Amino acid sequence: MKYKLVHKTEYKYAEAVNNYHSLVCLAPRSLPDQLCQNFTINISPEPSHIIARKDFYGNTTHYFSLHSPHKTLTVLTTAMVERITDATGSLFLPSEESSETARQRLLGDRALKISLLEYMLPSPMVKWDQEVRNFAKDCFQEGVPLYECVKALCRKIYSEFDFVPDFTTVHTPIKDVLAAKKGVCQDFSHLAIACIRSYGFAARYVSGYLETLPPPGRPKLQGSDASHAWISVYIPDYGWCDFDPTNNIVPGERHIVTAWGRDYSDVPPLKGIIFSYGKHMLNVEVDVIPV
Amino acid sequence: MLTEAPVDLLQSYQSGLSSYDEVLDMNGNIKPYWKALFSKLEKLGLNELKSRNQEIISKLRENGVTYNVYGTPDGLNRPWQLDPIPFLIEQKEWNGIAKGLQQRAILLDLILKDLYGPRNLVKDGIIPAELVFDNTGFFRPCIDIKIPAKNQLTMFAADMARGPDGQMWIVDNRTQAPSGSGYTLENRVVMSKLLPELAEGMYVSKLSPYFNSLQNTVLKLSDKSKDAPNIVYLTPGPNNEAYFEHAYLASYLGYTLAQGDDLLVRNGCVWLKSIDGLQKVDVIIRRIDDDWCDPLELREDSRLGVPGLLQAIRLGNVQVLNPPGTSVLENHAFHAFMGNICTYFLGEKLIMPSVATWWCGHVKELNYVLEHFDELIIKKANRKTKFRSRYGRLLSYAEKEELKKMIIQRPHEFIAQQEVSLSTTPSLINGNIEPRYAALRAFMVADENGYHVMQGGLTRSSPVKDRFVISNQYGGLSKDTWIVSDKTEEVQEKIVFTSPVSVNKHVSLPSRSAENLFWIGRYCERTMAVIKFMNITINVLNLDRNFGGSAKQEHIKILLQSLTHLSSTYPGFLEEEDLMSDPYTEIIDLISNTNRPGSIAANIGSFLNAVGAVRNQWDQEIWRIVDLIDNGYHEIRNASSMHNNNIQKTLDGLFNNMFTFLGVIAESMPRDNSFLLLETGKLIERILSRVSVIQSNFGVKNAPGVENELIEATLINHHLLVNYRQIYKSHLSVEAMLDMVLLEKTLPYSLVYMLDELKNNIGRLPVTTRSERLNEAQKYVLQASTLVKLADVTELSKSNVGYERQELFHLLSEVSRLISSVSVNLTNMYFSHTLMHHSFYDPKEYDTDEI
Repeated sequence: MKYKLVHKTEYKYAEAVNNYHSLVCLAPRSLPDQLCQNFTINISPEPSHIIARKDFYGNTTHYFSLHSPHKTLTVLTTAMVERITDATGSLFLPSEESSETARQRLLGDRALKISLLEYMLPSPMVKWDQEVRNFAKDCFQEGVPLYECVKALCRKIYSEFDFVPDFTTVHTPIKDVLAAKKGVCQDFSHLAIACIRSYGFAARYVSGYLETLPPPGRPKLQGSDASHAWISVYIPDYGWCDFDPTNNIVPGERHIVTAWGRDYSDVPPLKGIIFSYGKHMLNVEVDVIPV
Repeated sequence: MLTEAPVDLLQSYQSGLSSYDEVLDMNGNIKPYWKALFSKLEKLGLNELKSRNQEIISKLRENGVTYNVYGTPDGLNRPWQLDPIPFLIEQKEWNGIAKGLQQRAILLDLILKDLYGPRNLVKDGIIPAELVFDNTGFFRPCIDIKIPAKNQLTMFAADMARGPDGQMWIVDNRTQAPSGSGYTLENRVVMSKLLPELAEGMYVSKLSPYFNSLQNTVLKLSDKSKDAPNIVYLTPGPNNEAYFEHAYLASYLGYTLAQGDDLLVRNGCVWLKSIDGLQKVDVIIRRIDDDWCDPLELREDSRLGVPGLLQAIRLGNVQVLNPPGTSVLENHAFHAFMGNICTYFLGEKLIMPSVATWWCGHVKELNYVLEHFDELIIKKANRKTKFRSRYGRLLSYAEKEELKKMIIQRPHEFIAQQEVSLSTTPSLINGNIEPRYAALRAFMVADENGYHVMQGGLTRSSPVKDRFVISNQYGGLSKDTWIVSDKTEEVQEKIVFTSPVSVNKHVSLPSRSAENLFWIGRYCERTMAVIKFMNITINVLNLDRNFGGSAKQEHIKILLQSLTHLSSTYPGFLEEEDLMSDPYTEIIDLISNTNRPGSIAANIGSFLNAVGAVRNQWDQEIWRIVDLIDNGYHEIRNASSMHNNNIQKTLDGLFNNMFTFLGVIAESMPRDNSFLLLETGKLIERILSRVSVIQSNFGVKNAPGVENELIEATLINHHLLVNYRQIYKSHLSVEAMLDMVLLEKTLPYSLVYMLDELKNNIGRLPVTTRSERLNEAQKYVLQASTLVKLADVTELSKSNVGYERQELFHLLSEVSRLISSVSVNLTNMYFSHTLMHHSFYDPKEYDTDEI
């Protein structure tokens, strides 16, 4: 499937901002099953330089700074992304190995452990306690294949939690999400990662886009698609396998991968340091248009 | 040199030893240099030593040497503690130690490059992956942060202590922004001044080559195309525990002291906000920890760093020492693997061992730790976890079980270190020489030949017997450290600067410093103006109370109200009649209440803060005065419990000391922008305060008897009474007085004189616009000065039917308005960019790099 991706972020400030430094993490990755072409980034007011860099995880970031007073900031990114249909889906199990054996293998193989360790340890936004473990207890049976365990976990989150925008912020701890049983894709992903890591497996946070489908018979609205987040779990013999706990699906061609890291704090789409007081308003529009 | 056999002191010290001590060698014999030192102490006598110790204490105080202690009410600016008995190491032994330290520095540098590069140490199984990925000092954004030098770890400090085998062991590493070298230098300065005879007959190695080497390294890193590189010493600010040292080293090394928001990243370069505009920065020596360096890519809530700094380093436009990311090496777990790492990288053995350390992440080591709990100190591998190290043997059974449970749950987060008995060293404790545990911090800097080790260091000893408490946060004492030999030639080093010594002819004044200097001038003059006028008022009051003065009460009321106007402490004497009947209560509050804006105590407090914030500007003469002012400040805060007479004495003392402060500045400060700004602040305040008093004393016409009292008070307030009497004898007239205080050009406290001075000063400040015309501030002063000069004193002294001196009142209001605008204008022109982020920083949030 081929998409044209348009992502527009607009900040409006009550007081003029004189100095602004920003780090943008919005360029889709190029992967064996994902092709990204013609990525563009347009910023207004226009900065004198935009500097691209590959971060620790291989994600592409763009740095820019602004030094003249402005009350509106717009960051517009576009790209052509082709998702190559993958054989995963739910048709067959990527690995039959029980989760008990899987855990042994992660720890037993030194090279594997080195590459996975940081996705197994607590990270800035993913910490867990017994409560988190208990929540996932019935999903993680030692004899059941890991892949099935994670699917069960995603199903549990999907069925027990309500998708409620604006209830949480990017700083809401997992504990609060677990107690309230509501949140957004970022919260569900963090919770799922915490559960998976608490049972000794490796999970990472994936940031990207999801093409939404309009209700049957209705035209698709502009700007109705969204930034999205899901998780990826390491399955021995198979490798990284994505899961979307928010929608209870195994991501396929409608999911576009931008970046991954230990959790959200490694890959915030747009991060900035402002030299100003006063409030700001944020408006984000995303379009994932099938071509 | 080792002629005299010390008798009493050494013997009694020796008899008090309970464990092995620095003065003894492995065979229990007294080391020759210690013998020599004790003979010097003997010669000096214990009483003289005690009195020298007192001198040291006052000297350190006078020099403003402080170490801020967190979490205590008087925590800020606690005097630095220096034990008069130095710590001695023989040169020959030191040379061996230095080799061990150099090897350690080389290893840490190799580890640093490997961890932010290929991570072969992990891949080849030399260290567990947890040491990287579970290391809170490992910062992923720093993988491409490099400085263009052979060694990435530029500055390094190691804490050492002597173990039971007589060897020095490494106890801890400081790899981010090592602290202590400035205190070491100051200790040496004070010791050489106050106890020079202790070193007679020995040669004590110099510290300066270390600092020269550091300067050389910094110079090599700076932009080679420039002959005067801009080097900034980055401090977290006056609330930091070691701020004294930051200011001290910045001025010793000749670098600009700056805080994070004095700097700005623009177009990929770092700029210093100065009153001459933005100045490009070439090298930053940072005293803030890694995670605080750049809020964009590291700790988002950091107000201490510079947004965009990491990107500027990546672009190669600025060099930061040590490069951010070096905290990865401060993880305690590395001690457990240093032997293997040394074999891996260098194919040799460690010259100086680390104290025996077990990382609990491996099963075998974990079991060892659990079984040998009583011999071990348990720590978290990561620093700054709020987990305080625990001595296994000091824990109760229940505490032990609880801690063991914690360790078993997350074993890889813990390490255990052997609790070794360390050596004691002679310390002066309550007037006696007693053995105390000690540790030594050694300093290294990378130069073209490898790592240069300072010939000396910072020794810290425990104030408590038989306990190892050396952190200054908990009252540890510091000692000068002497590397001693009897020959002078073997350690002389030639200092060769790699490029012709460049001279920074024009040193930019950071905007924040500029603002502080301006306010120092203002607060100093404001305090003096209030003290002066308050003294005048109190004298009149006393005269009236005690000697039944001839005039009516009216003039006292006016003077008291003028005092309220002058200090802006409304309503004060303007509204409440009660205050008039007992003015002393309000007066004492005006003197002592630190929480009341406008009070003398509050003004001095602000003055002292501003002085402290630019401490790198001052030399010792000034510090001595500041110390005296600080003493007076502490006294007047208790004015309510003081006798009236003593209050006035203290106020006189404060006034004189502040006058001396201005005098020393006038006589010794270079006539640069710093001086101009301080003078400008002073003049603005002097004009405003004098105008306020004239206005409230003479705005309304009073009976001649009352006016005569007011004229006299006003003339004293302008330092003009003697002068006036010489000319007009005893004839007091408002017109004559106004002529003098407003228009007499030769009198430094007359309005025209002060306005002209202000005009000259402002004219010499840097021009920020391209225009050659007068700027706004200059126009305001010119206008004020012209208005005064055109005034006719006969008209001014006239009053209308309501007894109001309208013309005088309007003229003075206008002058006041114009001069206040000058202040606002200067603030916008020179200090505006310092307004952002001001005072956001809460010191409690900042983890300590404790010495």
